[in-house]
Amino acid sequence: MKRRSRVAAIVCVLLFVIYGVPMFWVLLTSIKPIADVSRGGWTLLFFKPTLGAYTGIVNGALLQAARQSAVIALGTTALVLLVTVPFSYAIARVRGRWPAVVLGVLIILQMMPQTATVLPLFQIFSTWGWLDQTYAVILADAALLTPFAIMLLRPFFRSVPVAIEEAASVDGAGRWRIFRSIALPMARNGLATTGTLVFLLTWGEFIYSINFFTTPENYPLSALLTQQITQYTVNWPGLMALAVLTSLPILAVFAFTYRFLKDGLAVGAVK
Amino acid sequence: MVQLVRMSVSSVDATNLGDVWKFTGFANLLADISGGNFTQALGRTVVFAALVTVIGIVGGLAAAIALRKSRRGSGVLLALMVFVWALPPVINGSTWKFLFDNTGLFNVVLHQMGLGQIGFLYDQHLALLSVALVNAWTIVPFNALVYRAAIMSVPVELFEAAELDGAGPLKQITNVIIPAIRSTTLVLLILTIVYGFRSFDFVYVMTSGGPGTVTTTLPYLGYVQAFTEFNYGQGAATAVTTVVLVVVFALFYARSVSKEEVGE
Repeated sequence: MKRRSRVAAIVCVLLFVIYGVPMFWVLLTSIKPIADVSRGGWTLLFFKPTLGAYTGIVNGALLQAARQSAVIALGTTALVLLVTVPFSYAIARVRGRWPAVVLGVLIILQMMPQTATVLPLFQIFSTWGWLDQTYAVILADAALLTPFAIMLLRPFFRSVPVAIEEAASVDGAGRWRIFRSIALPMARNGLATTGTLVFLLTWGEFIYSINFFTTPENYPLSALLTQQITQYTVNWPGLMALAVLTSLPILAVFAFTYRFLKDGLAVGAVK
Repeated sequence: MVQLVRMSVSSVDATNLGDVWKFTGFANLLADISGGNFTQALGRTVVFAALVTVIGIVGGLAAAIALRKSRRGSGVLLALMVFVWALPPVINGSTWKFLFDNTGLFNVVLHQMGLGQIGFLYDQHLALLSVALVNAWTIVPFNALVYRAAIMSVPVELFEAAELDGAGPLKQITNVIIPAIRSTTLVLLILTIVYGFRSFDFVYVMTSGGPGTVTTTLPYLGYVQAFTEFNYGQGAATAVTTVVLVVVFALFYARSVSKEEVGE
């Protein structure tokens, strides 16, 4: 008994180091003078903190990119929930062979590599003249995440007891009323989990963004970051500051929804 | 999807993308295979996915077991890990690209200890391993979270009974926990394999397929063929092959899920 807790404690400390140090290091680097970083050595820990990296990157273009990120992420989340909530409810309630078939198709769609969809979508958008349009990216992101969202939501709707719905229907509630006043509130953890994940995934999505936006002025934050990190000469403090700023909204959303997320993921992801 | 398949059997490049495509059958696929890039990329992808899967599953299980009992800090640790998982790949990729850099944490520590520098992302032999490690690093929290939920649903009596029988901690893990969560393992196994197989973001952000082509995995190869070389047809052929491989795993997954469905 004693020994086990000691081993477990060691693993925990190890995990803290493995996951904590990188995060800490990013924060630390973002407030360092650039000369200290390239010089290396012990200035890594002893340096004069500066917000130079932040003031260097915050400008009109960055704010524009942040706005673009917000529009894409919120738009996609709204669109995905709008489509998937009724669909998941239906598929959780319908009996027979069909749900199994639909589920199978959804699983396969969910596992499609994004690199396989970016090419045909690029071709389609270019014939429709949709390239460089924000709504095209929103639509593509929504299409990408819809199967995943349905898979995640379905178990939550399934766990709403049919008996309660039947009772309501005896009391004279219609299908829509039952959905709105019973199923929806009871599945709200699922909605929170799904909404959060869709938001987080779209916020960080860059493959569609860098390909469908042909002018870099339209890039969201994630695409901006990708563009800078793949260049050869890198301004590390600036880049780390950009990474920190890009993560801030994620931290905010995460802090609010973590308690749903923690249980919701385990329920939705595996079933 | 239909467009992708059509593209994969046609000759498409930048000049005729919006125009009529000439049907060339399996020419793209054959050019792919005889080019040598494809088979190499396939091999790398398998190695990559295997690394990610082994580390992801073993690490996830170890973390879940360590985090099973609530103790001081374990809640914070779990939140930290899940947060890392929730961060976009671009951010995690950037972070590690920096940590692995010549001026990054590892090399500075090595340097201070009087050892030379290691080009984690520039070395022929290390680059693929480095990217796979980072990929595994981001998937371990998710696997740990799912495993933890599965372990917590194991009845306490089982552990008590095992303890009465004199089973030590290791025995409890191998004889109680692992058999009890077998179905979870199966699902996570498939999910992690597919995750490793189609991984693109980290390669793109951290190494762009290099040095040379040593980190060019299948998804990355298809992307480069299409968007850098503008050989859309060949890129599509590579993408279709990746999809077919992923679908094979997806079918396994679908079967195990629908089995569960029948059981309910």
